Amino acid sequence: MIYIVLFFTFFSLFLYVLLGGADFGAGIVELFSSKETRKLNRDTIYKVMGPVWEANHIWLIILIVILWIAFPAYFNIIIIYLHIPLTLVLLGITMRGVAFIFRHYDAIEGESQVWYNRMFRASSLITPIFLGMSFGTLLNGEIIITDDYTQLGFADIFLHPWLNIFTFLTGLFYASLCAFLASTLLIGETTGEVRKLYSRKSAIYTVVVVIMGALLLIYGFFNNMVFIQDFLSNGYSLSAVSLSALLLIPLWKAIKEQHSVLTRFYAGLQILLVLFAALNSHFPNLIITSTTEINMMDETAPESVIRVLGISLIIGGAIILPGLFHLMKSFNMIKITRSDREDDRR
Amino acid sequence: MENLDYARLQMAFTLGFHIIFACIGMVMPFFMVVSHRKWLNTRNPVYLKLTKAWLSGVAIFFVTGAVSGTALSFELGMLWPEFMKHAGPVIGMPFSLEGAAFFVEAIALGFYLYGWNKLPETFHWITGIIIGISGVASGILVVSANAWMNAPTGFDVVNGEFVNIDPVAAFLNDAWFTQALHMTLAAFAATGFAVAGIHAFQILKNNRPELHKKAFRIAIVFGAVAALLQPLSGDLSAKDIAERQPVKLAAMEAHYETKKGAPLYIGGLVDEENKEVNYKIEIPGALSFLAFGDFNAEVKGLNDFPEDELPPVAIVHYAFQIMVGIGTLLMIAAIIFFISLKKKSWLNNRKYWWLFAILSPLGFIAVEAGWVVTEVGRQPWIVYNIMRTSEAVTPMPGMKYSFFLYLTVYITLAITVTWLMMRQIKVLNRSTD
Repeated sequence: MIYIVLFFTFFSLFLYVLLGGADFGAGIVELFSSKETRKLNRDTIYKVMGPVWEANHIWLIILIVILWIAFPAYFNIIIIYLHIPLTLVLLGITMRGVAFIFRHYDAIEGESQVWYNRMFRASSLITPIFLGMSFGTLLNGEIIITDDYTQLGFADIFLHPWLNIFTFLTGLFYASLCAFLASTLLIGETTGEVRKLYSRKSAIYTVVVVIMGALLLIYGFFNNMVFIQDFLSNGYSLSAVSLSALLLIPLWKAIKEQHSVLTRFYAGLQILLVLFAALNSHFPNLIITSTTEINMMDETAPESVIRVLGISLIIGGAIILPGLFHLMKSFNMIKITRSDREDDRR
Repeated sequence: MENLDYARLQMAFTLGFHIIFACIGMVMPFFMVVSHRKWLNTRNPVYLKLTKAWLSGVAIFFVTGAVSGTALSFELGMLWPEFMKHAGPVIGMPFSLEGAAFFVEAIALGFYLYGWNKLPETFHWITGIIIGISGVASGILVVSANAWMNAPTGFDVVNGEFVNIDPVAAFLNDAWFTQALHMTLAAFAATGFAVAGIHAFQILKNNRPELHKKAFRIAIVFGAVAALLQPLSGDLSAKDIAERQPVKLAAMEAHYETKKGAPLYIGGLVDEENKEVNYKIEIPGALSFLAFGDFNAEVKGLNDFPEDELPPVAIVHYAFQIMVGIGTLLMIAAIIFFISLKKKSWLNNRKYWWLFAILSPLGFIAVEAGWVVTEVGRQPWIVYNIMRTSEAVTPMPGMKYSFFLYLTVYITLAITVTWLMMRQIKVLNRSTD
């Protein structure tokens, strides 16, 4: 049963990184767009993401709930030592959610829209950076677990572990991954001029992701970080990353042939491979502190809890996944074309 | 103030906000589907306009409720890591089910929001009902987790570790039914009266009265029925607390001396130092009767409990008085509403509409007061008689800054949401359809 729970843990992580990521990315793409295309971006994002917007972010709650129920000891360390970056993530999520709903549901379209848009774009960039930083903190070997608060200061325990170059690079890597995902997925949703625009953006963000990924590895390698060393010597992880890079070729082919289902499939597979590469090289020791490694499979919840959780997840999954699939199918295939936008203007 | 106090304040503050968003997000979908049904049946465009206006409200409150809920799911761990480490697995079941219910709600909301003119009419309408039902289910499940903190069951404590965990027994703890019932009715009463009051105010200002009278009618029926049932549920809760958490009951009533035929105090100023209540109205034997159904039953007083296990008495007592007082007012208003169904002439009296306009915010004040009673009344325990709140708090210093940060963010949020709602009403009042 623990493996079912573990499956759902990584499944929700994957879906959050993918769907939540595409969603954050949409805001990043909007942020780095020229003034003329911003309005267009905003409308496209709303039409494509709107119906599934809220569902994308519930995966984070599911992930957190599974972690605290099934892996209480592991969760305990995350939640104590990542208090500050996670608070910043929460602030970002709050700002973003509120800005999104305000800019689309404010009954009067007026000057306040400018502020909603700014808030939305800024939080879209900041939130994934802090998420990436939090993830980087787990693996960078800087967390100091201690009960003794006299020897070390506040900054040593609660700031330095997450506030350093490596975590910042992880944050930028995830943010650029989000932008790559969003621009690539949006190509499939659009036609004509708009399509060309997103194709160009997608190409740019692909380059950015590759550069950020390389920087991350190089930095870790030259600083002798345990995680990066292990990552680079792990055959499976390296193959997964290489495969993910190779997938760019069929991905671009699918985009050219306007095959939107295949495009999504390849992009999703790439994320899966990157995530697999990152987690595989160190599973199950998914926290590396300054002195030791923490195995998430140690001190899991008792069997009775895992059983009930596993059953709940299977039943919940059986209800939610078809509904979600149907929701995406019903609305996500709406093509944004020029005539559509003219309709709106009227 | 210490770290612990700031952590408690932050939790109280964020929960206090979330409760309002969650209640409205839970109950308003029901108003919306009633109006939607009326539109489908009568094809009166006023109902369509009302449905869409309420839908915008639901969407705004759903998102604010969802983000503040996400924040809370993290905060539980960030503020109370030791609590979550031990209790997390025990109360995991209602939380995982709540996650599922919430997901269903989000999916249904996606269908409903974007389904106009795209989905078959009946299916579209049903997705609206699903929003409401799954919302109420989420609420009940979360309250069940809270009920476990008041009535911890389904585990044994051995050397400080929680063992022999039975998640189902923990979920169906002794307090879950009374608490869930009380909270669900409270959500309906508070939201019903709040929404009805806003529309009553618009009727007073003579803004599109034909529309606002329809809106008032839908909302107040839900609110009034809930307000009439609430005293019965309150009685169940009081008897339950008398049995399980006698110290909380004693604090609610500011009842210091153990007595047979204990009196009920109405109002009064609590003097915590001298352990007495001044300027109160006394009803002899009433507390014994309310707690145990017997005018002569013995009710244990605060003096019989160890000093370090007492909650802050004054806060709990005042909050309880506010909750009960408002509950009584709303019940009377509900009766007035039902009489007005027969005496139509009342509807032309401005005082009638003023009454409901003034009552508008009171339901939510009662909800907040009720949560103060539950939560502060359980102190100093986070898990009643098992774990102290001080043992659960995060070791990270500097909670002060965290508290002020959250305070700023949530106050800004509250101001903007209110402002948005005012703009919704403004647009609703424009007569061009």
